[in-house]
Amino acid sequence: MSNSPVLQVRDLQIDFMVDKRSVPVIRGLSYDLPAGRILAVVGESGSGKTVHALSLLKLLPPAAAVRCGEILYKGKNLLTLPDTELRQIRGQKISMIFQDPVASLNPVLTIGEQLIETLRAHRKITKQEAFAQAISLLEKVGIADAGKRLAEYPFQFSGGMCQRVMIAMALALSPDILIADEPTTALDVTIQAQIIRLIKKLQQSSGMSVIFITHNLALASQVADEVLVLYSGLCMEQASAADLFANPVHPYTRGLLASLPSVKTRLERLPAIAGTPPVAGEQLVGCPFAPRCPHAVEKCRHEIPPLTNRAGHWTRCFRRDQI
Amino acid sequence: MNLRVEIKNLYKTYTRRKWLFGAGEDVPVLQNVSLSLPSNHVLGLVGESGCGKSTLCKVLLGIEKPTAGTVLVEGKNVAELSKAQWKELRRVMQVVYQDPYGSLDPRMTVRQLLAEPLDIHGLYREKSAREQFLRQLLEDVGLSHVYLDRYPHEFSGGQRQRICIARALALDPKILVADEPVSALDVSVQAQILNLLKQIKQTRKLSILFVTHDFAVARFLCDDIAVMYQGRIVETAPAQEVLEHPLHPYTQALLAAVPQVGKTLAPALTERNEDHMVQGRCAFAPRCGQASIACGQKAPVLIEKNPGHWCACIGLEKGEKK
Repeated sequence: MSNSPVLQVRDLQIDFMVDKRSVPVIRGLSYDLPAGRILAVVGESGSGKTVHALSLLKLLPPAAAVRCGEILYKGKNLLTLPDTELRQIRGQKISMIFQDPVASLNPVLTIGEQLIETLRAHRKITKQEAFAQAISLLEKVGIADAGKRLAEYPFQFSGGMCQRVMIAMALALSPDILIADEPTTALDVTIQAQIIRLIKKLQQSSGMSVIFITHNLALASQVADEVLVLYSGLCMEQASAADLFANPVHPYTRGLLASLPSVKTRLERLPAIAGTPPVAGEQLVGCPFAPRCPHAVEKCRHEIPPLTNRAGHWTRCFRRDQI
Repeated sequence: MNLRVEIKNLYKTYTRRKWLFGAGEDVPVLQNVSLSLPSNHVLGLVGESGCGKSTLCKVLLGIEKPTAGTVLVEGKNVAELSKAQWKELRRVMQVVYQDPYGSLDPRMTVRQLLAEPLDIHGLYREKSAREQFLRQLLEDVGLSHVYLDRYPHEFSGGQRQRICIARALALDPKILVADEPVSALDVSVQAQILNLLKQIKQTRKLSILFVTHDFAVARFLCDDIAVMYQGRIVETAPAQEVLEHPLHPYTQALLAAVPQVGKTLAPALTERNEDHMVQGRCAFAPRCGQASIACGQKAPVLIEKNPGHWCACIGLEKGEKK
């Protein structure tokens, strides 16, 4: 397994303009995505996980602006790349699937038209060639009777099937990186298991890297090689999935894991994290988790702790060695 | 046992029209559903989207009329109630919905939201008594009384769900219908609301019909669990029984698919067929790893396999499985 990073994010900072005031949403995010690995970015709503994903493809809404940082794809900074060059990468080398597969497809075009459009936009091939490729793509994502289904419209597909089509479209050009933004949140659990299996299988056979964005820690533990926990635009903890779930260090990660109800045992009370997640821009001094943290000391309220590394396990906590 | 809600052989059919003036086509959404909710009990209704669990809530709340069968709330048949009698019943039975953003009027303050049910039912008319009641109500759901004059947009999702719960409790009901009350909430907040629901159930001796798609949540809160698939109850038993000794292949598959830390990924179940009009055979058979020819020939009925543990599966009927 080659472990040279295919994507490097360096000190990424993203602001949103709210009422003519800039509110930081991502506050200095850095990570490496090694080739052929799955990185899960875990966070609650408002943590900045989707904003970060959109910025990787320069798809941010107009109200958002990248303040500083670098996104290096194979050494090229995507943030400063001219649009013509970016278009060679977006969709082709880095592609994305979204939470709501039904809304991501055009309802008035057939599945086939949408797949063929994707293929022909990037490659000089005839319609017949594109049609043949579209069939093999649908078969690859496990859609039976592919030739017939190409002529159907999205409404004739179930949610899980639409997500398969989205995956087929994202993989049409054999990308190096697939960004999956909550790809199973809108789906039932039994369908979720299928889609996750499919993504893992395709990732292994093609050797691509995946950035898997989710709010579901348990799901991340089953999918990812590496996990990054995001809170209020800051990375709170990052480690290999095995290490992070066996030895969570940050009080936020620990709290989240403890507060998950289990199917195996019944607790009288769930050890919930007190308080509510911060609204973007609300509390900017100190550790963003300090108001909810049982271990917080005075220092935590005034200073943002740095990320510290112990044998590849990164944590942003002043008290990591004491708690 | 004192039953708060009793549902007997309930059927509900929606009519689907493919063309504006075309002939309607009947889509059965609930088929022969029987459930009972004893007092001070939490019954979990677990199933995937489209299985009919929200429709069941709507029938129970009188928003939809049953096609056949009876729904008894506090011994009264809801189909026969007059408008005035329904109003009385609403003091006994209240509801909390999934989306705390959609269920609060953005132009009303918390005070107005909580006082509205009191006005409708003419309770706590005296000013100081009402003020004291509203403050206590808000504090019962874990919010400070200083929030009384704020608007819903000033609160987070979890706080709004607390307000929805307070509003449902304003009339001191005996029955709470909770339709996925925690699935729109963040993970770190979900645990707080679950603890709150458990606590108010105990202090107020509430009976709760708790609709969810999440077995882990059901395990935490529910005494009994009923599993629904395509409009039918396929398994029902005490929560621990369902989760530790699931009998129906669908329950087993659904349980296996719940992501858990430290567990490997579940084996995939095949895609669901969207055909809702399955009659005369097992609706789950096309996806079932344990199906035999018999499953395609007759519809399974609920049988009591172990005391209190009911399951509708042809394989069990034939005694092929223990």
